[in-house]
Amino acid sequence: MFRGSVGGRAPGRQGCSVVDRVMFTIWWLLASVLAEWGVRALIHRGVYYYTASSQAQDGERAVAFILTVLTPVFTFVVVMLIYNFIRFSTARGVATPGPHQFQTNKTFIGMWVLISIGLNVLFFVHPSASALEQMFNSEQQRVHRQDLVVNVVARQWQWIFSYPQYGVEDAEDANGNSTLYLPVNRNVKFILRSYDPYHTYAPEAAVVHDFWIPAFGLKQDIIPGETRYMYVHTTKVTSYNVNPMVRVQCAEVCGPGHPFMEAPVHVVSGVDFVAWVRQQRMRQAQS
Amino acid sequence: MSSHVGNAKRQFVTSGGSGEAVLPDRRMTPPVVRGILWAAIAFILVNTLVSQVLDRQAYDPFITKVSVTFAWTAALCGWLLGVGGWEMLVKPHFGYPLVWRTPADWRRYFMLSLDHKVVGIQYLATSAAGLFIAGFAAMMMRAELMQARLWFFPNMSAYLSAVGIHGTIMMFAFGTVVLVGGFGNYLIPLMLGANGSAFPRVSAISVWLLPVGIATVALSPLLGMWTTGWRAYAPLSGQDPSGIVFYYLGVFAMTVSSLLVAVNLTATIIFKRAAGLTWNRIPMYAWGILAVSLLNIIWLPEIQMTFILSLLNNIVPFPLFSQVGTPLTYMEIFWLFGHPEVYIIVVPAFAIWQEILPVMGQKTLFARQWGVLGLVFVMLFSGLVWAHHMFTNMRNSQMLPFSFFTEMISIPTGFAYLVALGTMWKARMRPKAPTVLVLMSMFNFLIGGVTGVLLADPVINLQAHDTFFIVGHFHYTIIGAMLFSALAAVYYWMPRLCGRMYSETWANLLSVWVFIAFNAVFGQFFLLGLRGMNRWVPVYPAYLQNMNFEVSIFAFLLGIGFLLHLIHVVWMWNHGEPAGTNPWQGKTLEWHSASGPGQTNFAVAPIVLRGFYNYADRRPVLASRGAGEREATGGGATPGPTAE
Repeated sequence: MFRGSVGGRAPGRQGCSVVDRVMFTIWWLLASVLAEWGVRALIHRGVYYYTASSQAQDGERAVAFILTVLTPVFTFVVVMLIYNFIRFSTARGVATPGPHQFQTNKTFIGMWVLISIGLNVLFFVHPSASALEQMFNSEQQRVHRQDLVVNVVARQWQWIFSYPQYGVEDAEDANGNSTLYLPVNRNVKFILRSYDPYHTYAPEAAVVHDFWIPAFGLKQDIIPGETRYMYVHTTKVTSYNVNPMVRVQCAEVCGPGHPFMEAPVHVVSGVDFVAWVRQQRMRQAQS
Repeated sequence: MSSHVGNAKRQFVTSGGSGEAVLPDRRMTPPVVRGILWAAIAFILVNTLVSQVLDRQAYDPFITKVSVTFAWTAALCGWLLGVGGWEMLVKPHFGYPLVWRTPADWRRYFMLSLDHKVVGIQYLATSAAGLFIAGFAAMMMRAELMQARLWFFPNMSAYLSAVGIHGTIMMFAFGTVVLVGGFGNYLIPLMLGANGSAFPRVSAISVWLLPVGIATVALSPLLGMWTTGWRAYAPLSGQDPSGIVFYYLGVFAMTVSSLLVAVNLTATIIFKRAAGLTWNRIPMYAWGILAVSLLNIIWLPEIQMTFILSLLNNIVPFPLFSQVGTPLTYMEIFWLFGHPEVYIIVVPAFAIWQEILPVMGQKTLFARQWGVLGLVFVMLFSGLVWAHHMFTNMRNSQMLPFSFFTEMISIPTGFAYLVALGTMWKARMRPKAPTVLVLMSMFNFLIGGVTGVLLADPVINLQAHDTFFIVGHFHYTIIGAMLFSALAAVYYWMPRLCGRMYSETWANLLSVWVFIAFNAVFGQFFLLGLRGMNRWVPVYPAYLQNMNFEVSIFAFLLGIGFLLHLIHVVWMWNHGEPAGTNPWQGKTLEWHSASGPGQTNFAVAPIVLRGFYNYADRRPVLASRGAGEREATGGGATPGPTAE
């Protein structure tokens, strides 16, 4: 490949080139250390702000890994942009071509291509495939004989939660609003359907909804005519009152009532859960 | 086909070859006025025919979904014929001579024009109008989101309609258009050393579809609110009042426009290159436009069929995408187009980086073949990644392959950075507005890329999807990368477009302004998303209000910044310093011709001797034939070959 030969001042150019490379490397390393420190602080604080399920923790770890690995890449490009702009800019409006003209640099291109392929393969293996593998495992039927099953029906615009194992239909709080209670440290299997149980003769009433609990770190679209599942493992006692991210929120636009399609979530101890179930059944018996 | 080209070319030369005004033989109604008139007549006639005679419905409404569809189609035909299609397309088909004279003043922008430069300006102006209409919708959305309750819009549906209008016009009238229909039409024939595009009559008519599309979508609430956003997911689209019908029709007009541009530019790049302009020598922007035009040719018909199906589903109606049909199918075929659309928007931006940086730094383009490889492979890969928009609703087994390709597409994307960074190394960079904006664009797209890697990971995607995180991500790629590159292109080619220079101080100041405001807005979108802010909500939990309020303030500053850029460009268009023929000392062929709109680009066909990006080679790019290189006849800046 053609290498710049204008002027023929190869030795001088070489020396200058080394200085630039060293200077750039120093700035890059400095920026990387600073940025990694920032990313560490961010990760320590919690990228997902608030997590209450093992799935959210897995996701948070995946974010942390990718950010940590990508930070030097990010700073490489940013420092290069700034360094190039400051170091190689000229005050003259009419520029003449400088002495350094080259079309290629096989080492640089080779490293660039290899590193970008390597990083992508790495990210695909971990965290993409590995975390997904973990998620698939958590969904296997055999590990979940003890799952708490919650039937979730999404209609415009309301969530309806039922607990078939406990005989609780359409769980409601004292004000008649849908509410989701879950025991802590349990695997929960949500069975998700989208239809209108009060207007079953109207198939056009069902639209796509999305079951999302921000603090649980995952969501699942609910497609009319299909049954979907979502699995979580609750990790801490918490509720909507502790952190508003502990709520069910429809995340897929479903018409004008979309913002109101939310419900508070309460993760409680096993004892409290049983007490709540008893209370719900009493409420049902009365109504 | 070749006879058409020759025919039109001859006509083009006779109609616009001289710089002086050629007035029509007889006074005719101004074409735009006649177009509006014919459209209105056609609309009323056909609408009355359908709703009152052929398809009367209960309670006898004058406008029904069905009647408005037919009436709109008739109005579109009336408009296109009135604005000049009658003389230029229909009458010649019946053996009449093609009589269409373009006056050499402002009026040529308000009628069909066979000059690719006029068409380019028409596209640029129309898509800029689209940008500011859709931007105004965004400002209204941000005003609403300043408070957690509904206070700005009268109801939920009005907010959601604004969301849909914003997204649709931004995507189909600005993002897809400005760098392709606008700069592509203007620059590609010039860059190839040609005197026109391959199908000048096609591009003459295609540009007039765009204002129809913008108006149709912007006025869609006249027919009723629609709540789906720009993706028009079924079955929700079937529930809405009739406004969604205008969405399908408007998008149809805009996509036809882009499709015709793509066909025209592809043919131009393949068949209209100057002698010696081999594939190894064509400019990077031509590679970018070729890649994006192929994407358009592959994917626009697909989305048009989808929307036609969905329109029929809506007005007949069918239950194709409802509970008893298959809602997932709509999503799949929407995103099958939807993701290539992202690259339709951003690939020309990559090409602009690689076009501007070597010139502004007077530095040999680094690793050119890798840059071309990057553009082409992004184009090829873009059809393999669509379902990463559907990690939340697809089957588990489909996740891994789409995750894989989505991660891999960052490799050819990275080549754009490889080329740009290598080109800047040891260059003599002029810190002018185009350079600054390209660097800002690269920074913004880097953020878009890093967050894209996060989103390609299914487990992370399941949390970030449908939240403001993803909204931040795609605004970084679209505003951050494409719009900043488009601004760079405006300032870089402004001397070529109008012969005048912008104000360096104002351009740099305003660029820093929009850069800061942009990052303040969309950087915080990531945080909002992770904190639980979901999309399409005019009402949201109160704990998010403080951050949203602050984001809105920066969003208004961003909007004002873009408006000031517009005012600056429009002002300098008429009042800037005369720029000379080639102020940046560029080598590509558009700088070897000073032809203004209506003028011939190259009086003598240029012969290209070598590529445009090697600054170690000081020899002239064009074959020197003495006076043979004298260019545009009259008008504009001083013509003449550039100093080499």
